[in-house]
Amino acid sequence: MKVIIIGASFAGVAAALEVRKKYANAEIILLEKQDTLGYIPNGLHLYWENKIADLNSAYFITEEQLSKQNIRFYLEAAVEKIHTIHKTVDYLYHGQEATITYDKLIIATGSSQLSQKISGSDGENVLKYKRRHEAEDSLAKVEASQSVAIIGAGQVGVEAADLLSQQQKQVTLIENMDYVLFKYFDKEIIQPLQQKMLEQGIDLRLNQTVSAIEAEADQQATIRFGNETVKSDVVILGVNVRPDLHFLDEHIRLHMDLTIAVDRYMRTSVKDVFAVGDCIQLAYGEEDETVYIPLVNNAVRTGIVAATNLTQPKMVFKGSLRTIGTYIFGYYIASTGMTEAESVFTDQKVKTYRQEVRLTSLPNSDTVTIKWVYDASSYALLGAQMISTSNILEKINTLALAIQTKQTLEDLHQKDYFFHPSFSQMISATNFVSWPEVRDDGNEN
Amino acid sequence: MKIEHFLEKNEIREVTIFKQLVLNGGRLSYTDMLDYLSVARASLDKDLESIFFRIQSLEDQVQINYDGQYISLTMSDEFSLPQIHQLYLNQSIKVNLVRFLFKHQEFSITQLTQKLMISDSSLFRKIKELNSYLKEFGIKIRNGQLHGEELHIRYFYFQFYSYIEDKESLMTSHSDKKITQMVQAMESSLQVAIELENKQRLNVWMLISKNRITSKEKKYVHLRELMQPYLKDPLYKKIRIMVLRYFSRYSIEVDEEEAMLHFAFLLAFPILSEHDFHEYTLERDRRAPIATMDAYIVETIIIQYKFRRLPYMLERDMQYHLSHIHTKLYFFQGDMEIYDYEGMLAKEKQFTGRDLVSFAETLIGISTNKFGIKEVENNSLLKIGLLKYISLLAIVTLKMTTILQVGIDLKMEAIYTETLNQLLILNMRHINGIHVEACQPGKVYDLILTNEQHTNKGHYGNARVYVLSEIMSSFDMKNIQTIVKELTA
Repeated sequence: MKVIIIGASFAGVAAALEVRKKYANAEIILLEKQDTLGYIPNGLHLYWENKIADLNSAYFITEEQLSKQNIRFYLEAAVEKIHTIHKTVDYLYHGQEATITYDKLIIATGSSQLSQKISGSDGENVLKYKRRHEAEDSLAKVEASQSVAIIGAGQVGVEAADLLSQQQKQVTLIENMDYVLFKYFDKEIIQPLQQKMLEQGIDLRLNQTVSAIEAEADQQATIRFGNETVKSDVVILGVNVRPDLHFLDEHIRLHMDLTIAVDRYMRTSVKDVFAVGDCIQLAYGEEDETVYIPLVNNAVRTGIVAATNLTQPKMVFKGSLRTIGTYIFGYYIASTGMTEAESVFTDQKVKTYRQEVRLTSLPNSDTVTIKWVYDASSYALLGAQMISTSNILEKINTLALAIQTKQTLEDLHQKDYFFHPSFSQMISATNFVSWPEVRDDGNEN
Repeated sequence: MKIEHFLEKNEIREVTIFKQLVLNGGRLSYTDMLDYLSVARASLDKDLESIFFRIQSLEDQVQINYDGQYISLTMSDEFSLPQIHQLYLNQSIKVNLVRFLFKHQEFSITQLTQKLMISDSSLFRKIKELNSYLKEFGIKIRNGQLHGEELHIRYFYFQFYSYIEDKESLMTSHSDKKITQMVQAMESSLQVAIELENKQRLNVWMLISKNRITSKEKKYVHLRELMQPYLKDPLYKKIRIMVLRYFSRYSIEVDEEEAMLHFAFLLAFPILSEHDFHEYTLERDRRAPIATMDAYIVETIIIQYKFRRLPYMLERDMQYHLSHIHTKLYFFQGDMEIYDYEGMLAKEKQFTGRDLVSFAETLIGISTNKFGIKEVENNSLLKIGLLKYISLLAIVTLKMTTILQVGIDLKMEAIYTETLNQLLILNMRHINGIHVEACQPGKVYDLILTNEQHTNKGHYGNARVYVLSEIMSSFDMKNIQTIVKELTA
């Protein structure tokens, strides 16, 4: 069996490793457009954070590790067109046209930050650094600049704002919505962080849609939004990512947002063609609801699911909760599942509860603020958000599992936990209880 | 634009045959029909033949018979003339062309000639004809695509799918969970309750929006200009946040103007309830163009009719309807004349009188002038705007007319009074602005009709008293009408 995988980032590599595990004799070939593979997207942030010495350390897998698994890869192989009737893939390999046949095809091309709406967003001064070569270019340009404007206050944008303001850059952050990180957090829960951003000198422009970036060579860029403008040396594009799928043929069915439609086995509308990672929508929330959630965790998990179902459907993808966790502006923040603001898009009636919980039994204990989002009638947990100055990130995984296994608030009362006065309160933070005096319920309902 | 603009000449004639039969009690002589259509015998014969063929499959619902002398029509109880219209529209080439354009966003000539089974030249002719009607909407078919401002394109499709295309078929073929979700999200995030009928309207709009969302190179120049006074509008801000959040869940880079489109639609059509709209008016900027116009027109009406004060709810109701008229005039171009304009106008005139129509003409003059709308011939939007003003004025004048309470107090044997009361009431039914009944003890009346003068002058309180000379005489009737006129003036 010859398995062609388009794209050698997390989804593609995960799929390749899983195919190898399941089919010892399969011929596995990864086609990668870049000249390198296994690069951690936004590895530049790790470098700025001083977590790694140089960009060469920002890799999750090496070429040797893949070769050892007998997985072949063609770098600088840009796919031009797939022909699902004849089961072939046309690609440019180091600039030469080539064609390869397949028995099974997995599309794992990933996504990139691009904007068709912001004119000038492909200019010289406009940086994106999801990929290795982009990162090198950006690194030099950012180092040489005094002021940086970031478009989009999502996870990438806010992280970059933090790291660059620590480097004494003058940072302007421009966001469409009325608060930062709106996809993962409700407005009130993220306020402390937003406040901290202002204190740290970030010029935060909310409710602003950037229409154009104008820049002459070797000059500052002018960013236009509404009737205002901002000037800066470089611009970082932190907008939503989108897949580039120009190479598909007409037999592959797409969603309204032009991502590939797949079933829960990651099968496309064409036999023997699978799609994973950032080029698909994922099951989210209730029933048949699917949305676009480009996260590494989903890329890896869908890669594994596709590989498992190559010859026959065996394993369904259990869906995504859009779980994230990060440390920005002195706060550990984490989120999983539905936010309250987003609940307007579901039939479910939700209720929320917010509490501030002490993390240990020690006198100087720090606290975490948790927001619980749950179904108003069944009390099943639907989402959770946390913010603390202590590292509480791992706790979000417990709650993600609780949501995935449909636990109710009552179940969470009873959840087993370890007690140690240095590490927990009399009851664990993720055990949902509401006791006056012990937990501060800063709640409105 | 009119519905018949989607039909060919012979099709219009065929539909007219149905209409004439309906207007003439379902039966008309062949020669009368010839006269009415002013066509040759051969044409009418051909039309009838074509009709027979077309309604063949609907035999149990509609039939046309021609016995050599009379043409007659029979229809089942649940079948009606609009369904005949629908039948013709469904098969219309122009309708199919618009349908195809909506579904595929663009077409090549070969694609369409094959699909519609017509020649290149007739396709070009149809497109040319369509373009002449699309002009009033500010849009045009060129190079296999619909060109124009996105707002105008969506508005045209909305009119098309509301009045020309069978709504049912649109909903069943295109609707999915995303649409209901979007409508529901609109309700929750704006915190409004949308009634069922209005929800259906919103569904159609959302369907069109969903279809258009990924089309490239959308134009918003005019819309952005019109929206300048509304960028801080509370309703717009809510819609904007909702739209951005919604599309953040998909791999779509949504235009900021998407929210503007929804804003214009939501206020130009009855989507919000009067209650929710009123809540909005409390928050909106009163100096923005539409609110200013609403206030100006309300004032003009109050002054014209010398109303000292309008009842609170009536004024709110006026604001509600006026705001729809004005938002539509402000944002949109063109309209679909679903009712026969001249006929409607004639009906309205009959009902409301000349003064009202000319006053409505003044109002539309004011609003188009203030909005800077250029007067073009046959602008359906203005025609329909006028009709709406007339209807609104009719509502207001009707509600503001004081109803005279008339009591009949006949002094004779009970056996006679009973019948004569009824006869009098029946006879006076046609007089506007009165309520007539047999005198109820203790009730206050404006006018008392009796047959004997009461000895006690104060017996009927302040009511004016008319003593009938001869019950049911034309003399009395004339006098009573004069008194009523005096009292209601």
